[in-house]
Amino acid sequence: MCPNIIYKDVAKRFEGKEIVNALKGVSFEIEKGELFCLLGPSGCGKTTLLRISAGLESLTTGQIFYGKKDITTIPPFRRNIGMVFQSFALYPHMSVFENVAYGLRVRKEPEDIVKKKITEIMELVGLPDVLRRNPSPTALSGGQQQRIAIARALVYDPEILLLDEPLASLDAKLRRYMRAEIRRIQKTTNITTIYVTHDQEEAMAIGDRLAIMNNGLVEQIGTSDQIYHYPDNMFVANFIGKMNFFPGTIQEVQENHCKIQLEHNQKILDLFYKMNQKRKQEMSKGKKIILGSRPEKLTISTDPEDGLFSGRIRIIQNLGKVTRYEITPLWDSKNKLIEVDMEGKLPGAKEGDTVYINFDRNNTLLFSGKKAI
Amino acid sequence: MGIINNLKEFILEQSKKDYTPYLILSVPLLFLVIFLVWPLGMSIVKAFVLRGNELILDNFTFVNFQRFFTSSMYQRSLRNSFVISFSVVFFTLLIGVPMGYFVARVEMPFKKLILSLGILPIITPAFVGAFSWVILLGKQGVVRYMVNKVLGLLGLSLPPIYGLFGIIFTMTLTYLPFVFLLSHGAFKSANPLLEESAMIMGASQSRILRTITMPLILPSLGAASILVFIRAIGNFGIPAVLGGQQYVLPTLIYFRVNGFWDLNGASAIAILSVIIVVIALTIQRKIISAREYETISTASSEHKLHRHPFIKAIAIIYCSLVLLISLAPQITIITMSFFRQWIGFLPAGFTLENYKIIPQIASKAIKNSLFLATSASLLTALIGTLVAYITERRRPKGAILIDFTVMTPFVLPGIVVSVALLSAFSSGPINISGTFLILMISFVVRRTPYVFRSVAASLTQLDEALEESSTISGASWYYTFRKVTFPLILPGIIAGSILTFATLLQELSTSILLYSAKTQTLPIQIYNAVADGDFGVASSLSVLLLVTVFGVVYLMNVFVGESASSSFKLG
Repeated sequence: MCPNIIYKDVAKRFEGKEIVNALKGVSFEIEKGELFCLLGPSGCGKTTLLRISAGLESLTTGQIFYGKKDITTIPPFRRNIGMVFQSFALYPHMSVFENVAYGLRVRKEPEDIVKKKITEIMELVGLPDVLRRNPSPTALSGGQQQRIAIARALVYDPEILLLDEPLASLDAKLRRYMRAEIRRIQKTTNITTIYVTHDQEEAMAIGDRLAIMNNGLVEQIGTSDQIYHYPDNMFVANFIGKMNFFPGTIQEVQENHCKIQLEHNQKILDLFYKMNQKRKQEMSKGKKIILGSRPEKLTISTDPEDGLFSGRIRIIQNLGKVTRYEITPLWDSKNKLIEVDMEGKLPGAKEGDTVYINFDRNNTLLFSGKKAI
Repeated sequence: MGIINNLKEFILEQSKKDYTPYLILSVPLLFLVIFLVWPLGMSIVKAFVLRGNELILDNFTFVNFQRFFTSSMYQRSLRNSFVISFSVVFFTLLIGVPMGYFVARVEMPFKKLILSLGILPIITPAFVGAFSWVILLGKQGVVRYMVNKVLGLLGLSLPPIYGLFGIIFTMTLTYLPFVFLLSHGAFKSANPLLEESAMIMGASQSRILRTITMPLILPSLGAASILVFIRAIGNFGIPAVLGGQQYVLPTLIYFRVNGFWDLNGASAIAILSVIIVVIALTIQRKIISAREYETISTASSEHKLHRHPFIKAIAIIYCSLVLLISLAPQITIITMSFFRQWIGFLPAGFTLENYKIIPQIASKAIKNSLFLATSASLLTALIGTLVAYITERRRPKGAILIDFTVMTPFVLPGIVVSVALLSAFSSGPINISGTFLILMISFVVRRTPYVFRSVAASLTQLDEALEESSTISGASWYYTFRKVTFPLILPGIIAGSILTFATLLQELSTSILLYSAKTQTLPIQIYNAVADGDFGVASSLSVLLLVTVFGVVYLMNVFVGESASSSFKLG
């Protein structure tokens, strides 16, 4: 059975010409057999955390456990892990068979076991036929190379699988297909897996749970649903999907309701807001807050009566299922664009027109000091 | 009527066509045909005819080649050339690869200095290295003297450096930088992820080195080996100084021409040495071609350097030792140039006389060298650039053939080029033997590959769209070449030409057969001074030559930058 992974105050500082605090103290646990995504913008520390998990980088402070075993100082070749690199890192001087066999040869497995295991693993990754010709990996397509790289990382039954942006060098269509394949393979082998990516759609689609990282810290850990619907803070809210923000002040707090006065036009909104102990404590009359709303929870209309604020349509993009309107607010000189996704097209609206924006009052989030309340 | 109209249109069309490129580009091709293809052809034909006989079918004979079966001197020379070339390749790999690995992968101080000092042996004339080793390890050599004091207690003695051992020793030190620099580059640029992924799969350091790193740098080692092999088999200066009774193919050719004026016999020897080079090239291609990979990494990660104090200590000691030994010639000749003689432990008779006498005895040779190197470099720049432009941009049907032709002299021993030129131009309608012209032509032919490679590389990196957009804006071929192409490939031209200039200043193996009293160059005067045993003057002239060459190379590094010094790997 594959172990869980525990990070305790993991920090990493690179000391070169300039000092970089890539990780500033990270603690969390990845469960047994879980497909866990590390997601964040570039430079957030996700790749550093993965390389530390592999032992390719040492950590400045903190500890890492595989199960009960402290592996903080154990070199990578004694950790029994598998890793798939962004560029696949297949050996151009070896055939596909020898590439996949590498880890087994290192473990001095007898030839018949090597053959058997490779046949099984190639079956699992869906390339049983490639072995018949057994070409150099450079002769294969990107998707095939990807499968070989996964086979090579899994064939010797490692305890943990690490994937470093494994789909980044594939084209968009193949990427969507391969991410399903990776999830299928991971669920078949049930190996504890860390998956690093900067693509939020990919992470949400594939991960059992996600950690959103930013600036060397973990911002939030949870399932896709939790993170999308209940972001802990404004960074996560705007990183996973888009969120529009409007400043305001709390006017009144009731059971599962609150009244917010918008800052720029003093209009008062009566929102449905499910209350709990924490929210009740944090919300008080007169408190400055920021109201957040997803693009699909906003509507626009050409009728001034239907809207709370006016804006000018900058761009209309047809995205298939929805139409996206980028709107320049007419009240805000800072020109922060508002995004509105509507099913179907608003009749008669074209770029340059003035429209009126309204909220879905049942689906908003409130933030105070960048944190959700 | 129709026909006449068609004809009119055709002529009109033709007159509108831009013929300038054809006119300009045919000049370098003509040069190559007259001064490279024709002489090589003549030389091959002459090899099958006896000296003094006419070039007709009736006189066809294999006698010139039969000497390799009948004469023990020929057989020994052939064997020596084989033994020396392969040994030198073996020892340069043995010594140079670890050094490349240490500098690329071990954390140590002064890496830049080691890399710059490491290049010095290639830009030092080979025969200068040879005679400075005579000073150190010759019959009365100072190092040999000291070692024998110690060995004498055991009843042993170190033989003087003359002979095969000395030739192999000196050539190994001379050509070591090729292996060192190329393997250093390969170790440094190999994709680090490939090694990391092996480490994750559980492979140990030594296993990774054996199964991943070494196989991946094999192509670079192959390229370095063939460079060393070609140079070792074509080198004239070192066996001429150190060979004694041991001849090799280049000295045998010299002996044949200088002693008997037998160009036919010399041509036969030349053909044999070219065949050996071709065989070596074929073997290298066979081994390498199946293993040519994209090893350059796109990943931004770098190799982890070894930091273990024990490994660091070994690396530093090893590199210092190799550098110390390979730089001994430079130190020796500088010291020697200030003394009358150096027999026994210390040099004796401090003097500036060796330098004071230079204007008196060598002003003509210096002038000749400067004149020949400058004019030949300019001509080389012109021809190399145009040929590179033709093969890279015009891509005519025979582009590969042109490429092959222009690169031929790169693999030919210098002395073979001179035998070919003498075969074509020392008798008959065109006799230019003993003139500056034949020396200049030999220099240009021999060095065109340098400029060609350098410019071709710049052209491949230059996006063709730049030239196309100029043409679309209405510019003629000549205008585009002058305003767009030329300014952008100028760094490549300069790098190639300066390299040409620096190497031509020290050229010996081509000029040794072509010079006359009137056209004697500085390297020849040094060589003759060595032959006369006048080490003091030979040293001071060598120092002068070294300082000039180093100065030129240094200036090139300052002005053209990193790209220039890397072209030494080609040259």
